[in-house]
Amino acid sequence: MIRLRNVSKVYKGNVVALNELSLDIAKQEFVFLVGPTGSGKSTLIRLLLKEDKPDSGRIWVAGKDVAQLSSWKVPLLRRNIGCVFQDFKLLPNKTAYENVAFAQEVIGRPAHVIRQQVPAVLDLVGLSKKADNLPSELSGGEQQRVSIARAFVNRPLILLADEPTGNLDPSTSVGIMRLLDRINRTGTTVVMATHDSSIVDTMRRRVIELGKGTLVRDQERGVYGAVT
Amino acid sequence: MSVNLAYVARETVTNLRRNLSMASAALLTVAVSLTLVGGALLVKRGVDRATVQWKGNVELSIFMKADASEGETAAVRRQLDTMKPAQVKSYRYVAKPEALAEFREIFANEPDLRDSLGIDEIPPSFRVVPRQAEQTRLIGERFENTAGIFRVSYAQEEVEALVSVTNFLQVMLWGVAIVLLAAASLLILNTIRMAIFARRREVAVMKLVGATNWFIRIPFMLEGLLQGFAGAAVAYGIVWIGRGIIESRINGAENDVALFKQFLVTPGDVAGTGILLLLVGIFVGTIGSALAVRRFLDV
Repeated sequence: MIRLRNVSKVYKGNVVALNELSLDIAKQEFVFLVGPTGSGKSTLIRLLLKEDKPDSGRIWVAGKDVAQLSSWKVPLLRRNIGCVFQDFKLLPNKTAYENVAFAQEVIGRPAHVIRQQVPAVLDLVGLSKKADNLPSELSGGEQQRVSIARAFVNRPLILLADEPTGNLDPSTSVGIMRLLDRINRTGTTVVMATHDSSIVDTMRRRVIELGKGTLVRDQERGVYGAVT
Repeated sequence: MSVNLAYVARETVTNLRRNLSMASAALLTVAVSLTLVGGALLVKRGVDRATVQWKGNVELSIFMKADASEGETAAVRRQLDTMKPAQVKSYRYVAKPEALAEFREIFANEPDLRDSLGIDEIPPSFRVVPRQAEQTRLIGERFENTAGIFRVSYAQEEVEALVSVTNFLQVMLWGVAIVLLAAASLLILNTIRMAIFARRREVAVMKLVGATNWFIRIPFMLEGLLQGFAGAAVAYGIVWIGRGIIESRINGAENDVALFKQFLVTPGDVAGTGILLLLVGIFVGTIGSALAVRRFLDV
């Protein structure tokens, strides 16, 4: 589903973000991406979305060679990838329902499909009753649920989550993780960058640790810290 | 990709309503600029028309000698006839009695001068209207050395001054119109850019969930188009009303402003200018917003 071969990315001022990184993530996997700040997690996510180009190496996402992808096809690539962020990135002047529906409208889904799928997804994330609330009227956990609903409503092949629990308290985070786990079981590949050791330790999924742009550890059913 | 028309329409309308102050600013900018442009174009039209009238009324006078023979007068008349369609528009012979009456009228307040000339000393003349004002000198020179002619008198300097003034006026008005149009375009581009900047989060999210660039662009372009169109429509209305007011003022006034009547523009001129204004408004609004949204579409 995701394949990187010798990918390097250097930012201005010789800041090495990724250095000859190679890795494979299979279909339906749930992967934690861990590592200290500046280890290249965010750069990796940006490259997968083609928000940035690697300096060298090749990347395949959902069977497409990202580097070769012409710019007008980038929107099509992104429709296969759902994104969840630490700061939710919800539109403040749209209700929860409208925020989710927006993701379907912009890719040209017909209205009757939207009317059917948006309530179903809001139900999945447990927010049916808050559909008409604005983001400012929702708690952090609820906002993140809306953002997950928005990422998932188009049934992407891959869900990228960049510190989705970074702004949430532990008990709320557990709920979010349960939701991501459920989404993973529908067949969606989930890649989650995180600093939250307790989550990684309890979930016991594959852990990929980056350090200074290279692969430090790749472990099935891993934990946050070093191998014991 | 199928573009959902209902979505585009709804998005455009909500955007306009949400950014009402910004949209009104753009609309008013277009309206003011295009009003000035329309006004300048109409004044130019008026000047064009007035110039044609003035030029058409310019005469030159060929004075015969007071004792010129019948044959000499007839020769001049034949010569003028041969030039008639191409260079000479019309001419009129002012015979001695008429010339004397005219002379006496001009100097009515100076009896000494008035009575100094008798019917025998007064020169008869031909009043010639050239087809084009620029040809006045050419026509006059043909007669300067002809037998029986006393003098050719041009309104030469007046004609040249008139032509150069109207030429300058036209160039200046075109210049003003072009500068104003450029200013209007830049203002629209800037206003729409600000409106889009206020909504850059929305654009970022749209890109994130896989909206194509055209999908993002179309509602903004439609919005710019509407603003340009509405602004141009307001400008059109102002120009139309303004012309009506000026026309009624001129028509209501006494004869001594008859000169200004030549400045009048027809409803056809206003309609033509109005269509131009609408096209310019639509063009500027659409292109301005397309340019403005472009930098927000780069990844």
